[in-house]
Amino acid sequence: MVNDRGQLYTMEGVAAGVIMLLTAYIVVSTTSVYTAGDTHIPDMQLEQLGSDVLAMMDTPDTKGEVSDLEIFVSTNNETGFKNAFLGYCNAKAIGADNLHMSANVTYRHASSNEIRDYPLVEPDNTWTGRESAVRVTRWVELEGNPSGVSGMDPSRPRAVLVEVLLWRA
Amino acid sequence: MACMNEDGQWIVLMGLLVAVGLFFLALIINQSALVGQTTAEGVLEFPKNDIRDLREAVFDYVDEFDHEEDTESKAVRDDIIAISLERKNAVVDFSVGDPEDISGRDLHPITIHYNNGVTEYHETVYY
Repeated sequence: MVNDRGQLYTMEGVAAGVIMLLTAYIVVSTTSVYTAGDTHIPDMQLEQLGSDVLAMMDTPDTKGEVSDLEIFVSTNNETGFKNAFLGYCNAKAIGADNLHMSANVTYRHASSNEIRDYPLVEPDNTWTGRESAVRVTRWVELEGNPSGVSGMDPSRPRAVLVEVLLWRA
Repeated sequence: MACMNEDGQWIVLMGLLVAVGLFFLALIINQSALVGQTTAEGVLEFPKNDIRDLREAVFDYVDEFDHEEDTESKAVRDDIIAISLERKNAVVDFSVGDPEDISGRDLHPITIHYNNGVTEYHETVYY
């Protein structure tokens, strides 16, 4: 008759092996997780928020009217743009969020065939260059040159790209 | 196991089951930190808002210039193409055709092409 006294030891050995393999797997898979999950999700939310705010600002009240965004860009209205944008961004049911922004306008300089930009909203003193900022953009079509911007081509209808840098401070 | 006391076998077996169960739960907690990561990466990578914005810019262009080709409309079109390439890393082109009768309405056929190296988008839309 075959002696089966070793059965319990075999089972123990198998159990120990499974436990060691699982431990090794969990330890190895823990190392790379947190940073990735930390940054992408808030970035995605912030980017979507900024795009939605620009889309709202670019929507005129009625058909045929000019949108707020186009007015702010064509009159180069820094405070108007900043207040409208941050007002939408920071709106919460209770209290206010703590988002900050700066904005540039990119245009094409036809005679030198260069892409140039000028600041529309300067960053405030929360901007240190180390923020995890996201960039959102919106096309704006203008009837002529924006007022108060030097160094552009002669006035013509033009499409410019409004680029907003958005960060939480 | 005739000569051996085997009362402890069930206890050992249950201990094994509990140990495996605990490790399984730990694995789930460990993976839960990843929830939403690939989704967020996908959303960040896919230029949904850029394409929507480009379409609206093209519609604005058609509102303004119809399908006429003159120096002003050509300059605006060049603006969109050149700035897209420089600032959005996207190769963009669009063209507006003569109005056609679509279900009793005169609409312009617009073809829009967008390619940022990862996402490619082509559309013919009547506007």
